[in-house]
Amino acid sequence: MTDDSTNPAQRRVVGTPQIRKEGAEKVLGRAKYVDDIEFPGMWHGATVRSTIPRGRILAIHFDESVPWHEFVIVTAADIPGNNHIQMIAADQPCLADGAVNHCDEPILLIAHPDKRLLPQAVASVRIDYEELPAVLSIEESESKREIIWGADTSTPNVFKEFVLQKGNVDEAWSSAACIVEGEYSTGAQEHLYIENNGMIADYSDDGGITVWGSLQCPFYVHKSLMAVFNLPEDKVRVIQTETGGAFGGKEDYPSIIASHAALLALKARRPIKMIYDRMEDLAATTKRHPSRTRHRTAVDKDGKLLAMEIEIATDGGAYSTLSSTVLSRATLHATGPYVCPNIRIRSRAWATNTVPYGAFRGFGAPQTIFAIERHMEHIALAVGMDPVELRRRNFLHDGDTTATQQIMREPVILDQLLDRALAVSDFYAKRERYARENATNPVKCGIGIAAFYHGSGFTGSGERRLNSLAGVDVTLQGKVRVLVSSTEFGQGTNTILAQIAAEALGISYDDVEMAPSDTHLIPNSGPTVASRTSMVVGHLIQRSGRQLIQTLKEAANLSDNYTRHDFFAACELLRARDGEVKSLSRYEAPPNIYWNDDTYTGEAYPAFAWAVYVAEVAVDTITYSAEVIDFHTVQEVGTVLNPTLAAGQIEGGVAQGIGYALYEKVQLKNGHMFNNQMTNYIMPTAQDVPPIHVYFEQIPFAYGAFGAKGIGELPHDGPAPAILNAIQNATGESFSAIPLLPEDIFLRFASYGLDPENITA
Amino acid sequence: MNQFNYLHPASTDQAVSSASSDGSKFIAGGTTLVDLMKLYVENPSTLVDVNDLPLAQVESLPNGGLRVGAMVRNSDLAFHPTVKEKYAVLSEALLSGASPQLRNMATTGGNLLQRTRCPYFRDVTAGPCNKRNPGTGCSAIDGFNRTMAILGTSDHCIATHPSDMDVAMTALEALIFIEGPKGKRSVPINDFYKLPGDTPHIENVLEPGELITHVEIPPAISTKQHYLKLRDRASYEFALASAAVVARVEGGHIHSVRIAMGGVGTRPWRAHEAEAVLTGKPATPAHFQAAAEAALRGAKPHTENAFKVELAKRCVIRALKVATA
Repeated sequence: MTDDSTNPAQRRVVGTPQIRKEGAEKVLGRAKYVDDIEFPGMWHGATVRSTIPRGRILAIHFDESVPWHEFVIVTAADIPGNNHIQMIAADQPCLADGAVNHCDEPILLIAHPDKRLLPQAVASVRIDYEELPAVLSIEESESKREIIWGADTSTPNVFKEFVLQKGNVDEAWSSAACIVEGEYSTGAQEHLYIENNGMIADYSDDGGITVWGSLQCPFYVHKSLMAVFNLPEDKVRVIQTETGGAFGGKEDYPSIIASHAALLALKARRPIKMIYDRMEDLAATTKRHPSRTRHRTAVDKDGKLLAMEIEIATDGGAYSTLSSTVLSRATLHATGPYVCPNIRIRSRAWATNTVPYGAFRGFGAPQTIFAIERHMEHIALAVGMDPVELRRRNFLHDGDTTATQQIMREPVILDQLLDRALAVSDFYAKRERYARENATNPVKCGIGIAAFYHGSGFTGSGERRLNSLAGVDVTLQGKVRVLVSSTEFGQGTNTILAQIAAEALGISYDDVEMAPSDTHLIPNSGPTVASRTSMVVGHLIQRSGRQLIQTLKEAANLSDNYTRHDFFAACELLRARDGEVKSLSRYEAPPNIYWNDDTYTGEAYPAFAWAVYVAEVAVDTITYSAEVIDFHTVQEVGTVLNPTLAAGQIEGGVAQGIGYALYEKVQLKNGHMFNNQMTNYIMPTAQDVPPIHVYFEQIPFAYGAFGAKGIGELPHDGPAPAILNAIQNATGESFSAIPLLPEDIFLRFASYGLDPENITA
Repeated sequence: MNQFNYLHPASTDQAVSSASSDGSKFIAGGTTLVDLMKLYVENPSTLVDVNDLPLAQVESLPNGGLRVGAMVRNSDLAFHPTVKEKYAVLSEALLSGASPQLRNMATTGGNLLQRTRCPYFRDVTAGPCNKRNPGTGCSAIDGFNRTMAILGTSDHCIATHPSDMDVAMTALEALIFIEGPKGKRSVPINDFYKLPGDTPHIENVLEPGELITHVEIPPAISTKQHYLKLRDRASYEFALASAAVVARVEGGHIHSVRIAMGGVGTRPWRAHEAEAVLTGKPATPAHFQAAAEAALRGAKPHTENAFKVELAKRCVIRALKVATA
């Protein structure tokens, strides 16, 4: 099962810039997104939401100005199964029943044939509440003045807690030359996929529920619908429509909107379409978890890390959703790519009365990597060392152990990545030049670095539990189809999986297509998350392809030097024998993978992607604005399957990371997002994004598809700390919180006063 | 979006008579109105489309000024040779706004009537807004007010006027020509906009059915001009603070100067006090600073936008410095 494709020079399809499978349909406007689909007799659904963050529902009034008899109205009482959304736990109601725990929580659903009547109808439902005190921050939740979750547990208000220990931290402080402390915080972030959340549902007594929609994980939605409707597996069908971006934002939320549309469809006995507009999508759906990370670090006189004590707190929102797994990844990335003999990490995800936070590219890692990579800068300052050199002295190498005592068995080439990043960015020469020029220029330039890893695939025993199944079949029309539940939402799943299948089968890329993303037709290859598709699912496709060739050789006399014609002819011989041509493979963990969920020790991830990023900034000390002017990225992600798509992932992740660092601020009041319009939630435009230079080193990973590791999340991890490190280099001012807006910089500089002579163009 | 009647008149007279009924709105580029209709903020019963009216000419006037038809698109005006040569501040202001696609649609007349980006105004579910729903209250005063106005506010409204073009037009002292059911009239731009006071829903002096037909910009001979816009991102974003400067400098002294500010006022903000400080004075940074202090003397920040006072001062100083260099 290892990668026996050996010589990259012999590959024809993998490693080449094949064009996107669905690209032409998209650019020609033919691709069907959920809102492009119409069914006869279809009605439109809308949601009545809580306007308070916490309280009891006393009464619901329907204004008489609305002809309610024309509407279908669904309440929690209409739910045939369990009133909860099935995620890791089952604490989130599908519809609020008696109590609300965050603003914008769904309470009622309404449907009508004319969607233009829905906004007025929603506004004509008045709800009386008995308001209860709300918990709106990590600090308020920590104080436990109000218990809003888990009152019957030993850790009220805490969704999840991890304690991770290596060595003995307490004994290390006394031998330290220097102890450095710091606190770092990160804000919420909105995904801003181009296509908002949307779903169509239909119900029939024979067929059960079918939903069509914009989503990442068909079987997550499937599982959730089974619980809400108390239906067996075969009576729930989930079909992914073309999906216009996700970034994690369509990992858990589609289960909610699918349940809502299906409840309306069940009661209305007709298809129901629910499409959120941008304001509803921004206010009501998930965002990146805000975080606060505290570091206390002991270093010796040479800058070697002796002990790291790390305390992480995330804001999970009102229900547990994915907070425990986000916290897990945050915890496992908290030390950065450094070796340290003594580590103690304590992390907690806190409940607050805000819209539940969810999955977002990076999944907890960007939060704690921001903290450690800013903290390394402070340590360097404290010990009087070049921050680049400090990092180099503490990098993980082959054979070192991480915080979970995972031994680095795969090659770790951080030194090489760092050297290349320094060279391609001309780091030292620029740093010197900026320092010289800054003395006389009110626009201060600076350069900063961040080094980091991102674990590929599910954490710990997660992949074993997923037990993914994937494969290929061959149609009567002579096409190979990839059978996966892994979805395309702009990132390139269709293309790379087709490339892997074509390579493994020795046929052309054009001979391969994707099976429809429909839970009745595809095996469960797991969710499309966690940078796992290329590495884990791709490897299953590679194995399935190899296995099919082996079968064809044995059963249909396929020769060693077969042509395309030979291949398809052999497939028909096999079909005559077996009735189908199909090859499926189930996940097998790489050897020597051991994980203990109780002690949180062992192989946290089968493989890591590694990177060193260099950001350059210009900070205008007159207008307080910080601009990223150049960006160099060097990374090792195993084999690059498609260089164009891989570069696109890096460029997009960096752009999103720039927004995270300097632009995007979710403004909450009572836990409701008030800047829920794109005119008020500022994301960077093409003009705000600098040239992004992308360099790959390739070390094939034996258990990934043709050597691939994960790539999708890595590029969101590094930009924010690299940028704030560059701002510190430019201005001498150290900032520890993002997003860092002009007024935050202003507050620091305002005390210095203004010299009008210096205000130049 | 609600249903509405759609009329497509062929002449200005016809347009004016079509639009005099209650609930009528003219539509030109639609870059503000259509957005607000989709958000149910504007709910006109009749749309009178003025796109075919013969109002899209830019003509030089005998006095050296310029006549700009109400239907001249922002892009066409920004790139018009006379505008680029003689009214650089206007060209710079236009090109700093929105995106190329929007500038290709947005018109001169429409931009003069551009409405605020205040999130409470633009969200019918966000609670009270005196501009959207007179008499209900202002959610922004104690709410999300980072981008709100610091000049010309009242206890009833602190919404920022968003336009760039109007700020340049104000510094150029443009004259707005109007046709309505009662005939034709012209209004200097500085008298065109109203402060919110206790009627923030009334934003200008237009009467029902009145249509802006064109704008006349007086000659600005021998002036130095500059528009500086400071904002949260490099494009597609409204000003946190902007300044338009039109100055005549002779022998290092400021003979005359007109300054208008954007992004800080409830209307395009003419800074007469700052002009008075500068007139006759040497063009030096110290005087620029005194002018900026004067321009912001009446500023009234709210909980989240105090930084805009200092930012606006620096904006004025830098714009003066660039313009007079």
